[in-house]
Amino acid sequence: MQEKLRIMVVDDEMIVRESFYHWFKKYGHEVETAADGQEALDKLEKTPFDLLFVDIKMPGMDGLELLDRVKALYPDTFVVIITAYGSIDSAVKAMKSGASEYLLKPFKPAHIDLVMEKISQQKTLTSKYQYLENRLGEMTRFDNIVGQSEPMQRVFDMIPEVAGTDASVLLTGETGTGKELVAKAIHAKSSRANYPFIAVNCGAMTESLLEDELFGHTQGAFTGAEKNRKGFFEVASGGTLFLDEIGDISMKMQVDLLRVLEDRQIKRLGSNQPIDVDFRLICATSRDLSALIRDGTFREDFYYRINVIGIDIAPLRERKEDIPLLARHFLDKYSQETTKQVDHLTADAEKVLCAYDWPGNVRELENAIERAVVLSKSRTLDSRDFSFLRPPEGDKTPARSLEEVEKRHIQAVLDECGGNISQAARILDINRSTLHKKINKYGLQKKDA
Amino acid sequence: MQETAIGLVALGNGVPELVLKIIAAHIEGYLNLSTVQLKSLQLPASCLDERRLQYDAGKLLQYLEEQPFEGCSKIIGVLGGDLFVPIFTHVFGEARQGGGHALVSLHRLFHSEAGTPCPEPLAYERAAKVALHETCHLFDLLHCQDQDCLMHFSDDIPALDALPINFCPYCTQYINDACRRMGIAKKVLF
Repeated sequence: MQEKLRIMVVDDEMIVRESFYHWFKKYGHEVETAADGQEALDKLEKTPFDLLFVDIKMPGMDGLELLDRVKALYPDTFVVIITAYGSIDSAVKAMKSGASEYLLKPFKPAHIDLVMEKISQQKTLTSKYQYLENRLGEMTRFDNIVGQSEPMQRVFDMIPEVAGTDASVLLTGETGTGKELVAKAIHAKSSRANYPFIAVNCGAMTESLLEDELFGHTQGAFTGAEKNRKGFFEVASGGTLFLDEIGDISMKMQVDLLRVLEDRQIKRLGSNQPIDVDFRLICATSRDLSALIRDGTFREDFYYRINVIGIDIAPLRERKEDIPLLARHFLDKYSQETTKQVDHLTADAEKVLCAYDWPGNVRELENAIERAVVLSKSRTLDSRDFSFLRPPEGDKTPARSLEEVEKRHIQAVLDECGGNISQAARILDINRSTLHKKINKYGLQKKDA
Repeated sequence: MQETAIGLVALGNGVPELVLKIIAAHIEGYLNLSTVQLKSLQLPASCLDERRLQYDAGKLLQYLEEQPFEGCSKIIGVLGGDLFVPIFTHVFGEARQGGGHALVSLHRLFHSEAGTPCPEPLAYERAAKVALHETCHLFDLLHCQDQDCLMHFSDDIPALDALPINFCPYCTQYINDACRRMGIAKKVLF
């Protein structure tokens, strides 16, 4: 099926412009006309077009010159050359310069239908290529989401429900919990599934780079902007835009994004021309946005805009029943990928994996299995294959000062000894008077023995 | 809401009266709109492109738009001559999208693709198809992707013959809505 395109007809003959105009209107395309090359360039500067029909013989700038300039400035725009003065030479020249097709006037109406079909297919292929190119660098080694725990079942239940709406979604959870996979699953189950899923890691970019990536730019917008370039808002047209680490963006960027969400329009950097955009927004963060709002570094109105539906993905240590399942899933995956016949996990190995806290969550588990598979000398992974995992530490200890560590340790030993100073001093390998001084210094409590 | 007629007018001498009656019957039968046959008009010589020996659809539509047709909200001109728009080799018909005037050319409808004469009933059916298609353009219907819908575009005889006289549900709904929007009453058939 042909999609609706923005078309410009450039011809010095009004009757030809009108004929094209009326014809394309019958297909519901958006059509504009220009009487010469300069008028066409002026219109292109203001608003993007998908397709240009350009007469080769025009006063002033001829069709071939216009083709060269359009291809230099707007490489995504397709150009079809039309002429009543057809010659093999000009056809070859036009095709070499990047024209998509070459038409000799007058032509059978069905011929233009074929051209439109071809352009439509080329456009789809170009979009898919750009999408895949964007995705290639971001491809994760996760295939899908695995989990049987209650928290993950809740997430699975929410995905189809959320996918059925167009509301903005905020995914929260620690790093490595699979927020992007959930975002992809929502996209895949939504009506936008046949359109791009664009993921952007906001935390990995400077403000100006992020602005350029999202909004795109026009030629000359800044040093080095040699061509017009679409931003992710436009590339994601019809699809889903996934903004990861949204808690890391600046206040200015929050204001800019808020405006886009409200107006559903963007302006490329260096342009005042608004462009309609149509995307579904999914954001993710591992940070506590409420705390950021209290600190004044995150806008409350923006928070409510992006958090129409919130999904929290539990860390792996809170859903340990998923660990054996995930481990077997990654074991299958990497034994196939590495063509090593490693397909068993001993009960001891499972115990080690379940005992570990996985601060890097599923991503860390995946890396651990991959490493174990690569280094394994047998078909079975046992606990020794995971000796590189540090033993569980109980509570995760944040960075503390030496004094703070000393204070906590003395308190712990005192508690263990039931407040017995002599016993605690022996364990701490200090004399009793030193221990008393430290108890007074830190204001510690001695439990009665 | 007043009953409003689609005016049918023969342009020039090459239009059999039976064709107009058949077109009228099809518009009434398939679109449920009333029709009226108007006095024929001469084809203005200025609309003939002497190099191509075809009538310029744009100029002919403009000519029709300049004529006073009382009591008709839409006019369909039928001619025996061949019709073109400058970019195309020929068209079977042409209409102002969402406008008031359309054209139907019979020139290519009475022959097969190979140029041999075809049975008259088949030619009349083709004329009716083109007229219905152009009438719907007057109600702002676009070309349809459904190959079994009369609003699907066809520019050669085999493609026209392959089209059934039938509108897809989407186009049917659209024309009903368009008539309502434009305040055009449909004919009461019973």
